[in-house]
Amino acid sequence: MIALEYFGILIAGLALYWAIPHNRLRLSVLSALSLLFIWLLDPMSALVVIGLSGYTFIFGGIIHRHRDKPGWHTAAVLGILLLLVFFKYLGMLSGISDAFYLFLENLPNFSLHRLFLPLGISYITFKHISYLTDIKWGMISPGRFDDFLLYSSFFTIYLAGPIERYERFAPQLETAAKPIRQDWHEGSRRIAIGLFKKLVIADWLAYFLAPIWKSPEAYSAWQALAALFAYAFVIYYDFAGYSDIAIGASRLFGIRIMENFDRPYLAGNISQFWRRWHISLSDWIRDYLFFPLSRLSKRKVWNIFWVPVIAMALCGLWHGADSRYLVWGIWHGLGLSALQIYLQLKRKAAAGSKKRLNSLLKWIGMPTTLFFVFFGWLSFRAFGLALALRIFGDPQALTLIPVIFILLIFLQDTLQKSSVLLAKLSWRLEYTIYTLILTMILYSAVHSDFIYAGF
Amino acid sequence: MEDKLLDFIREEFLDDPDQEIDIDTKLISGGLIDSFSLVSLQSYIEEEFGKKIPAPRITAESFDSIRQMVDIIKQF
Repeated sequence: MIALEYFGILIAGLALYWAIPHNRLRLSVLSALSLLFIWLLDPMSALVVIGLSGYTFIFGGIIHRHRDKPGWHTAAVLGILLLLVFFKYLGMLSGISDAFYLFLENLPNFSLHRLFLPLGISYITFKHISYLTDIKWGMISPGRFDDFLLYSSFFTIYLAGPIERYERFAPQLETAAKPIRQDWHEGSRRIAIGLFKKLVIADWLAYFLAPIWKSPEAYSAWQALAALFAYAFVIYYDFAGYSDIAIGASRLFGIRIMENFDRPYLAGNISQFWRRWHISLSDWIRDYLFFPLSRLSKRKVWNIFWVPVIAMALCGLWHGADSRYLVWGIWHGLGLSALQIYLQLKRKAAAGSKKRLNSLLKWIGMPTTLFFVFFGWLSFRAFGLALALRIFGDPQALTLIPVIFILLIFLQDTLQKSSVLLAKLSWRLEYTIYTLILTMILYSAVHSDFIYAGF
Repeated sequence: MEDKLLDFIREEFLDDPDQEIDIDTKLISGGLIDSFSLVSLQSYIEEEFGKKIPAPRITAESFDSIRQMVDIIKQF
């Protein structure tokens, strides 16, 4: 359903945007269309965006004027976090404590079931916290409210990111140059590639594998293992496809948005994986959680163990108020911690064995990281024990791992290069491909939603 | 400033402290230091030079060599 509003506003927005000659008016229209997009999906969410943007912008000005008083920043960020907790995590907290739940349920005119989850709340709150913190750090100035409102609501990236930073976004509005032909080419190409990843790869894989995910006990261990591995690629192509569409659609308006993926399953270790997977979120976690947490103490156990585990546990919870995301985050935190311990040990290793050790780890780093990440999806997708037991109940199934591994890596690498290949095609062939993909949208888009738009 | 940073990085982060590095050596993209080490580097710069560099400025792109580090430090 979301796709209809998204592409409807995209087409209407482009027609208006390219027709209006005045720069600032063009941006105002884009703001209005972005708010209209959110309003069409959920009117209350549009009100939350406007209210929260006003709140953050006012505090941004105060923090800028009183940079010597960090209390303003703390208070403003706490306010945003309280809003996030109120809308997103109250249900989870109430689930933990029945007494708390009953207390809330019994309050006059209050029901948890009537609480609504504003669309894109996780993304907008993270954008606003980075805005306030960057002002505190002296990296940016508050700027204009209409620019900030567009930054908060820009419909192409509103629902599922990338979590763009104001520092990169706002200067593009100041020049507000009319999009050029190259923007149109690059933007439409990225949208076509994104739709292909989403509708052809992710949706079809998900369609065929859904029965195994649902009842793994009815299938062989080999099929269950293949289904788990394939899920890793479903979530990748679903989200990377969305990101391509968001980046491409933004480019049609002449606005460049940061990349969100860089062949994550080819990472050599878990730290590299997080520099390639959902880059805008992992950068955010690094800048506004990992660094500040690390500076709280110089104790090794804090920096090597607790900081990665806490930061990644919160990263997991960001995806939703559910213990499966928490377990997934802690799993990755432990992975990062183990890597850090390994790096420390490596430095202490004897010089003679170091080269042999490095060479060995270089070879096993990528498959080890891949399997670590893949098994993390067991919790993220809440496959439960049934699928895990089905896989590990038959050790023979594990022999299939290298074959699946090679096939999926090949697919990933080929698609990564598809952008370059498309660029070499003649414009007639290129647009024929776009038309074919557009036809597929008509059949599929109405019933298709993005996994990450749920966060 | 360059010499102090060179000494600190050699002693704290390099697998082999005798390894030859200069102010243009690619430290992060070259795999000589990892992202975990950047937090210690941030603390060292604050203690030694009195400059607090914001985390978003300490990236593989902007903090990859000692020359780049010095340029960023001078901005704050």
